[in-house]
Parts: sequence; C-alpha cells; structure tokens
Amino acid sequence: MFSAAKGIYFEWPKWWQTMKMQWSNMMAYKLNFIFMVLGPSLVYLFIKYNVWTAIYDLQGQSTIQGYTRSSMINYQLWVFVVGILAQGFNSMDLAIDIRLGRISSYLIYPFDFWQYHSSRFVAFQLMQTCVAIISTLIASATGLLSGLSLHNFLLGLFYCQFVSLFWFASQFLIGILAFWLDQTWVLRVMFLMTASFLSGSMIPLEIFPKGFAHLLNYSPFPYLTYVPTKVFMGAYPDSLKLALVNLLAWTVVLIGLSSVIWKRGIKLYTAAGM
Amino acid sequence: MWPYLRVYKEFLRTSFAEATSYRLHFVLLIVMDNIFYLTSLLGVSFIFDHIHNIGPWDRAEFMFFIAFMLAVDHLHMTFVSENFWEFSYGIRIGVLDFILLKPLNAIFTIFFRLIRPATMFNFFIPLGTLIYFGLQLHLSVYSWLLVPFMLLLALTLQTSLEILMSMSMFWLVQADAVNFMRMQFQSLSRWPDFIYRYYARKFFTLAFPLLLIGSVPVKILLNLTEWKLASCSLLAIAVTWLLIAITWRRGLRSYESASS
Repeated sequence: MFSAAKGIYFEWPKWWQTMKMQWSNMMAYKLNFIFMVLGPSLVYLFIKYNVWTAIYDLQGQSTIQGYTRSSMINYQLWVFVVGILAQGFNSMDLAIDIRLGRISSYLIYPFDFWQYHSSRFVAFQLMQTCVAIISTLIASATGLLSGLSLHNFLLGLFYCQFVSLFWFASQFLIGILAFWLDQTWVLRVMFLMTASFLSGSMIPLEIFPKGFAHLLNYSPFPYLTYVPTKVFMGAYPDSLKLALVNLLAWTVVLIGLSSVIWKRGIKLYTAAGM
Repeated sequence: MWPYLRVYKEFLRTSFAEATSYRLHFVLLIVMDNIFYLTSLLGVSFIFDHIHNIGPWDRAEFMFFIAFMLAVDHLHMTFVSENFWEFSYGIRIGVLDFILLKPLNAIFTIFFRLIRPATMFNFFIPLGTLIYFGLQLHLSVYSWLLVPFMLLLALTLQTSLEILMSMSMFWLVQADAVNFMRMQFQSLSRWPDFIYRYYARKFFTLAFPLLLIGSVPVKILLNLTEWKLASCSLLAIAVTWLLIAITWRRGLRSYESASS
C-alpha cells in the first residue's frame, strides 16, 4: 500500500497525462458518454419516479414504512446522484486488454497496468463529480429535489468518493479474472444486478423484510447506495464513521484479493497476439 | 421457408457447439439469468408486503405481469439478444460485408444467427412463475391456450422495435451506446402501462410503442373481452417493419464497409 502511494507521488506526471487522455476520449464520443453513463441512470430514475408516484397516487397511500410520496421521490433522486457519482466506471477495457494481450506493453513500460487504469478511473471520477454537482444544482433549482443542505451534500460527496473506490476495486478484481475467463462481463452484470437490488437502489432497505435487511448489514451492499443516499438526505441514523470503516474494510479486502489474483494471473499470461 | 429453417437448425447446432466449449461461462450465464429473475420478482413482492394494489392490479395480477415479462425476456435472451451486440461489432469492423454477400435475407442472418443455449436451460423459472401466478388468478382454459400466442406477440413486437433502434448503428460511430439504450428501453417495458404518467404513457404507446409489449397481452389474458387490443400490437409490428425496411435501405447506402 505504502509503495503504491509512493509510486503515485513520484509518477504524478504520467498519471496526469493519462487522465488528460481519458478526458479527451470521453469528450471525443459525447453521445457514447451520454448513452452509456448518464442514459442508464436517467432511464432508471424515470422508471422509479413513475413506479413510486403510481404507488402513492393510484392507491392514495400516504406513507410506506415512514416514506411519504415526496420523501420517496427525494430518496430516488439522491439514488440517481449516488449512481452518477459512484457507479459509472466499468472494467470492460481492462478485461479486453488482458484477453487481447495488450497488457504486454504495461509489463515493459515504466507505468504499471494498475496505475494506468487507476489514473483513468480518477479522471472519470472527477468528470462524474462535476456531472453530479451540476445535476444536483439543476434538480434543486427546478424544485425536484427538496431540502438540499450544503453540509449534507459535502458529507455525501465525500462519502461517495469511497463508494466509487469500492466500485473501482470490485470492477478491477472482476476485470483481471480475464486471465482465466474468456468473458468477464457476465460476472460484472451479476455483481451489478445483485448490488443494485441489495443496496437499496430500487427500493429503500426499510421496505425489505426486517430479518433480510438486518442480514445485509454483514455485507458491503447497504454502504453502496442506501447509506450515501441517507447521508445526502440528512437522515442517516447510525454512525457515519462506522459505515465508512466498514466500506473501507471491504475495499481493502477487494484490493488484497486483486493483488493475489494479479500475481497468480500474470504467471499464466501467454501474451496472446504477440 | 424450408431453406431458412434448415439454416436456422445449423445456427442452433453451431451455437450449442460454441456455448459448450466454454463451460464456466455457460454456468455463469445460467446463474446471471437466475439472479435477474429473482431480483425482478423479489423487488415487486417486497413492495406488495406493504400495499394491496398498484392501480387496478393486486399482487397476483402484478406478479403475473412481471412473470409474463420474464418469460418474454427469457425467449428474447435465448433467441435474439446476442445478435444485437454482434451487429454493432459487425458494422464497426466490416463483418457485415460477408453477411450481405450470402444468398440469404441479411436481416435474418444478422438478428437470428446467435442463440444462447445457457439461457434456454433456465426456462423453468419464468415459466414456473407464470404458471404459479396464472393459477392464483384462476385463468380460464382459453387464456391458458392463448399464453403461447401472447408470448409470441410480445416477443415479436419487442424484437421488431429493437431491430428498428439498431438501424441507427449505421450512422453512429460507437454503436455499443445504442445497445445500452436498447437495454434501458427493455426496462421501461417491464412495467405495466398504467404506472406511467399521462405524456410518458402516450409517447410510449403511440410514438414508440414499448408499453404495448407486455401490457396488451397481459390485459387480454386477464380479460378475454379485451382481445381487440391485439390489433394495436399487430399494427405496431406492421408499422415498425415498414420503418425497418426504409431505414435498412438508407443505412446500407451510408455503410462504408470497414473491411474493404
């Protein structure tokens, strides 16, 4: 961990150049960026807005497990912001690099494979943070999002950086399984679907059966959407420090696993296409 | 017709051969599909633990709709979905050239070439839940007889709309983005039409009839007197294919054949 930090410090210019390259790539295919990064979150929000307004309006229901119509819409809007902030990056390129033998270059160049992909992630994350801030301001100015507090927003923004680090670590781990698997997208989709459901992205965890929701506390999932959403809303009842420690512990586990898998995988690597 | 069936039999054979070469991937696909079915059903079930109805439907009716859409999705995943990804790839690297040269209808070869056998083995979950909730609703014999035809109607409309969307790949540099949007549109159609607000409902019923995919067949199955609604789906299919024919010709004219 210490040597990685030292590497970042001394190789900062290489990180900066890679980040600039990532920004150029993202901006070169703007439609792609909108459809692949913003599109899914927007469509997801549109569906959830319609589903929940239908549940409250057509049924004349005033509250469901403590959520009024407006607090549920607020919850879903913050889930959208968390989604943009933390869950956009994917490991598609990473797995393709391994499968097509492109990582041979990283084994020769003085810029590691993990450094290259991490710097791309940092660039992506900075861009996403800007998009999330603009989206929040628009939603707040148009009255869609109510009760926006600067303190909660900054706290949520800070927490989400760690959530995105967790997502990156999980995507990296799945990506490097390409040493053994022909296709890693199945694992990525599996993890995404599971996390999307169990993290409270579709329905808040209060709506889950109590025993099931309690069990989820022993997994990383609630810390990925439910906790940051509640932090943004200023309604997280438990200790945020404890949540952060839990999230970081899971992230460290993923990074450790990635390190072991990378070391084993590189021994198997046959440099296809060389 | 017969030559096409013979070719399709070959497509099936080669897809099976390819799928069984990567056994772990085969198993993972089955697990992935089951996670999708489970999360879709549990999500709605958890909501119904706290309410009795959503709009005009109670738990059994709503769950029957979800099960019906999962069954449509299962057929779509098995027989069509893989091909959309290949189409975007084919345009980008020029594989489409070879398909255009073959003495077969190119649209048939592009959109029905790849089959996903792993998903085929998962039929018991969507079919089982469809039967389970159908029995809870005491569907009539006629409704049960109509189920395969309604599934086919829904699948045809969904596939047609997605083929129409895919035609835009001829003009877009990064065609994968269209596939991502296509998947988002699938999520839109997995909810009944009455949950959408007025303008969204009108748009996705009349302009881009995604909401007809599941809502029309399920309404007919729940109430056979609504059979006339099927004409709306048939009309939507006809119009979609007319638009596919027009955009296909225009698309081919602008296709630059990357491999040549």
